[in-house]
Parts: sequence; C-alpha cells; structure tokens
Amino acid sequence: MVMLSIKNLHAEAAGKPGKPILRGLSLEVEAGEVCALMGPNGSGKSTLGKVLVGHPAYEVTGGEVLFEGKNLFDLEPDARARAGIFMGFQHPIEVPGVSNAAFLRLAYNKKAEAEGRDELDPLEFDDFIHEKIKLVAMKEEFLDRSLNEGFSGGEKKRNEILQMAVLEPKLAILDELDSGLDIDALRVLGDAVNKLQRPDRALLIITHFPRILETIQPQYVHVLSGGRILKSAGKELAIELEERGYDWVLEEAAAGGVR
Amino acid sequence: MTLALTSSFIADLLAGPRPSEWGDLRKAAEARLAGRDLPTSSDEDWKYTNLKALGNLAFSPAPRAAVDISGHLLPEMVGTRQVFVNGHHAPHASCASAVPAGVRFLPLSIASEACHSLGSLENGAEQGVFEDLNTARFEDGAVLLVPKNMKVALPLHLLFITKADTPLAVFPRVLMVLERGAELELVEEHYGTGTYLSCPVVEVRVGEGAVLRHERVQRDSDEAFHFGTLRAEVAKGGQYHSRTLSFGARLSRQQPWVRLAEGAEVSLDGLALLDDHQVADTHSFLLHAEPHATSHQLHKCIVDGQARAIFNGQIRVAPHAQGTDARQQSRNLLLSESARMDTKPQLEIYADDVKCSHGATVGQLDPEELFYLQSRGLNADDARNLLTYGFAGDVLNRIPVASLRRALRQLVMARTQADSLGDLS
Ligand SMILES: Nc1ncnc2c1ncn2[C@@H]1O[C@H](COP(=O)(O)OP(=O)(O)OP(=O)(O)O)[C@@H](O)[C@H]1O
Ligand SMILES: [Mg+2]
Repeated sequence: MVMLSIKNLHAEAAGKPGKPILRGLSLEVEAGEVCALMGPNGSGKSTLGKVLVGHPAYEVTGGEVLFEGKNLFDLEPDARARAGIFMGFQHPIEVPGVSNAAFLRLAYNKKAEAEGRDELDPLEFDDFIHEKIKLVAMKEEFLDRSLNEGFSGGEKKRNEILQMAVLEPKLAILDELDSGLDIDALRVLGDAVNKLQRPDRALLIITHFPRILETIQPQYVHVLSGGRILKSAGKELAIELEERGYDWVLEEAAAGGVR
Repeated sequence: MTLALTSSFIADLLAGPRPSEWGDLRKAAEARLAGRDLPTSSDEDWKYTNLKALGNLAFSPAPRAAVDISGHLLPEMVGTRQVFVNGHHAPHASCASAVPAGVRFLPLSIASEACHSLGSLENGAEQGVFEDLNTARFEDGAVLLVPKNMKVALPLHLLFITKADTPLAVFPRVLMVLERGAELELVEEHYGTGTYLSCPVVEVRVGEGAVLRHERVQRDSDEAFHFGTLRAEVAKGGQYHSRTLSFGARLSRQQPWVRLAEGAEVSLDGLALLDDHQVADTHSFLLHAEPHATSHQLHKCIVDGQARAIFNGQIRVAPHAQGTDARQQSRNLLLSESARMDTKPQLEIYADDVKCSHGATVGQLDPEELFYLQSRGLNADDARNLLTYGFAGDVLNRIPVASLRRALRQLVMARTQADSLGDLS
C-alpha cells in the first residue's frame, strides 16, 4: 500500500521567489518500506523533509503530496505530526526552560488524545519513558534537563530518536541521523530505529554515508540532485555512490534528458 | 526643626509624626528630602517611568491590621518566619521557633540595639526619594544577623503584607548581616490588596567568604506602587545570589545596588511578567570596586497587553578592579503589538584587564522553536504558551526552595495560559 505519494513537487524558500529548491520531485513510499535519500550537498534533501512536515521557511509552489490518500498540505504541521509524520532534524532546536520530560509527555498525550487513547499521568508516563530511554540508551538526567539545551550534537540526535520512540510515527524522516554520532551511538540508535520499524510503518533515511545503511537496511536508495530524484535503485547503489561519487549519476541523467 | 517642603506629595507623606527611634537617621533623610519633588521624565533616570498617576493619589500612614496568611506559608519555612502587616510586625502570624540559636531574626523594634549599622551602607550611590521616604518613616522591619561561620540549613521567610482599604503608604525595612563564613537562604515576599505605596529598603552585608541566597518575590496588588531599594555590600570572597521576581503592582521599580569587594561573586537575576497597563522598571548598579570579582546578571521580561518594561543595567569597574568578570544579559519577550520594552546597558570600565559582556534582545517567540514544538504534535496555541512559560521557567527552575518554585511555576503557568498543558515540571 502506498503511504506517501509525492507528485511533481515544486518548492522554494518562503519570501525568496524565483529560486526553486525542489523542481518537480516525485517519489512513492510504501508502508513497510525503508528507503534512503542521498545526494550532493544542497540538492534539497532537508528541504524535502521540511516541506513534508510543514516547515514555515518553505513555500510549496506546485505538485501534490498524498499521505495515506489525503492531501498533506491541508494539514497544519501539528496535525501532520498527529497524523503520524515525524522528522528527526539535521539540526534540532534548543528550547530553554521547557523540561524534556514534560515536553515528551505533552507530545505523547496530544497524540494519544487525537487517537482517542488514554492520556498518561506523570507517574504512568514515568514508567513508559523509562522503557523508551532504555531503547535509545539515554541517561535519565537528560529527562530533567531543558529540551536540547546544551545537549551535544550527538545527544540531540539521541533525543530526536527518543521523541520518535515516544510518538511511534507511521512515517519517520531521519535527516542525517548519523552526522555527529560516534560509532557506538550510531549502532544503538540504528538498532532502536529498526525496532520501531513495522510493516505498517515507513522510514526515509537521509544520509551521505553507507555506514548507517548497514544497520538500517533500505530496500531502495533514491538519489536527489537539483531538487529532483535522478536515480532510484536497490541498496547496492549506496556502495556504488561511496566508491564513484555522484558525477556519473548526474551524467547518466543528463544523457537521459534530465537537467 | 521645620522643613520647607515644596512638594505636596512628599510633604504629605512626611506630615505625620516622626517615629521616635533612629532620630538622627530620619532627620538626615528628611533634610535630603526637603525641597525635593517626585522625579519627572526630564530626570534621565526616570525617563520612561511616569509617576503622574502616583502623584495624583494621597496615601495615609498604614494602621495595624490582621490578615490571614495561611495561603502564603511555605512548608520548608514553618518556624522560620517573620511577618509584617502594613509595616507593623505581626507577632501572631510570625513563628521563629525553628531559627537556630545564635541567629538573630527579629523585628527591628525589638532588636534595635544590635543594628548600629542601619542606614550606613552607601556603596557609591546616593539615596533616592523613595529610599529616603522609607528611612524617614519606616515603622518596623526585620533584622537578620548570622554569626561567624554559621551555616543555616533551613531557609528563612520574610513576608510583607499590605491590606489597604484606603490608599496607604508602607515602608518595609530589612537589615541583613552575614558575618564571615556564614551561609543563609532567605525568601522575601511582598503581597497585598488595595491601593498602596510600598517603598521597601533592604540592606545586605555579606561578610568575607559568606554566602547569601536571596529570593525576592513581588506579588503586590494590581493597584499598588512598589519602589524597592536594595543595597548590598559583598566582602572579600563573599557570594550574594539574588533573584527578583516581579508579578504584581501597577507600577514597580527595583533598584538593586551591589558593591563587590575582591573575589566576590554576585548573581543578580530578574524576571518580570507584565500585562494590561503594568509598568516594571529595574535600574541596577553593580560596582566592581576591587579586583577579581565576578558578577552575572540575567534579566528577563515578558510583556503583554499595553504593559511596559524598563531595564537599565549599570556596571562600574573601578580603576584598580583588574580581573573583573562581569556579564549582563537582558532578554525580553513582547507578546502584543502594544507591549513595550526599553533596555539599556550602561558599562563604565576604568580598569584594563577585565572581561565584561552584555547583550540585549527584544522580540517575539522564535518561529523555529514554535515549529519544532508543532512538529511534535502541539498545536500553535499550546506551542506558544509552552514557549512563553519556558522563557520564564528558565529563571524559575533555579529557585532552590521547592515549594516556592512550584508555587511560582503555577502562577506563571496560569499567566502564560500554560496551565492547560498539565504539570510541566
Ligand atoms: N531557507 C532557505 N533560504 C534560502 N535558501 C535555502 C533555504 N533552505 C535551503 N536553501 C537552499 O536550498 C538548497 C537545498 O538545501 P537543503 O538544506 O535542502 O540541502 P541538503 O540536500 O539537505 O544539503 P546537505 O547535504 O548539505 O544537508 C541549498 O542550496 C540551500 O542553500
Ligand atoms: Mg540537509
């Protein structure tokens, strides 16, 4: 079943018209699928993710995105989150004064409320979150700290995956989870992401390196350049890109008439 | 002695009989007030804070009154509490049974012989009108003396409550002396109902190597005027950490003046939460008089409605105060179109080997932060309220007394509409 269907998507930075970032991007993601999104710096990978979750810095100028058959752009960012879309950001924001635990509980309860499930009170949530922090091997003290405030780069990424584990999204877009993570952390968080993956869920892994794809194994690798998908293939493509770089993909595409 | 008082506002306040004790101190204050008027906006120091509404009111001396303080008790401080109502000591509401032997925590009216240093702290700034009014007319106040090397485990609680059925003037007074190596935590709170003018003066002496943590909470009534003066002197290697939290009063002004001796450590934090037509003004003065002292100042204002906040942070580093480390930050959140903030650092650095920094921001909530919260499923209103709460929570989270921290968090959650979000601790 197709979960996410992107057709001919065009987008640019809000307030900066005339410089399109996404230029006719089309992509389908099925439930149960894990796919990798690779491509040169500045090709539009993060932009695609942020457009999907409704970041206000971008404006959609054309095309269509359906999530479970419904027009995604009809939904505000918070409604998209409650509908089951999650993005683990490349550069997560720090929010001083808001406790990490309180924030996680709030996010969990808002989603539970939307799905008609029972909300958890602070004590119940305490038990729940302890299971989750074990999954991502996070130290308990991080729960009492302000959301991401003063977290190291790797700690922020860990916290993103903790949020993912709490919200259990249907579609998770993980933007360069591997950047800033040490080797052990990468393995732990990769395993955590795998444990969260199920046949009715999908993963979109944005990365530059094949290493993370050894843990989180994708069925497909899509190469994005200049705001479009230039090539899609199986996971062996990631290794080939590692060896040969991106030029040959670009040349191949140019020969095929894509610029 | 007859005084030629031209200002009717100040003259009216001084019209009543002069209290009998502290005669010389009071006469000196009256002499300084002679011929003085309320400051006006042409006075540089009062440029943004208009006192016309104050000048139009007449305040009488405050009579004794009984109030129910049960809502103001803090469980950590049962037995370490002195309460003053309308400027008079309230013996039945006070309870100092758990104050350790050796510590003197008493009303001034009882302990006057121990207070020879009252009114003698000048630390480089001349007395303001409201401070002199206090000195001339205070009825009573609190004295707190902590002997050498005594580390007081329980926090002490000082409550000033005003009950004004008609417009009243109150002049709370506090003298705190920590001798060498002493340690103490004090919570000072101001509450009230009705229209009144409150001009507290707090004098603090932190001895060599002594440590004082001082929480100051201003929850005066919406019709109140509050003009607070704090004079602190921190001796060699001493630490003074104060946090002033302003929620009430239609117009409030805080003037903390702190002098730092060699190696002293001072933090002077502030939070003001304002709405409607409230005005909150802070004019602080930190004097790095000697080398190697550190001061950290974080001042935050959340301004909504037509409210207005003012921050003027003066830091002076004396010529020989080498190795000074002074940091000041003024962070302000404007929640409405008509809210207003005027913030100004005022650094006067006369030494060359110093680290001094200051920064000021005035703005709305950060759209990136709002989006981040929304991307986790919080709707726009909840995200805004949570961030507004978080802006204040940043200061509140550092309050060491748990019950006070909880109470103020709840107050701030209600004022930032974050109470619907559940327990945020
Ligand atoms: N808010 C913005 N304003 C202006 N230009 C932007 C904005 N966001 C992205 N861009 C531009 O759009 C292009 C795509 O950026 P994007 O961050 O999506 O790249 P990326 O593929 O994620 O790159 P990287 O691998 O370096 O993370 C870049 O040229 C970038 O400069
Ligand atoms: Mg990117």
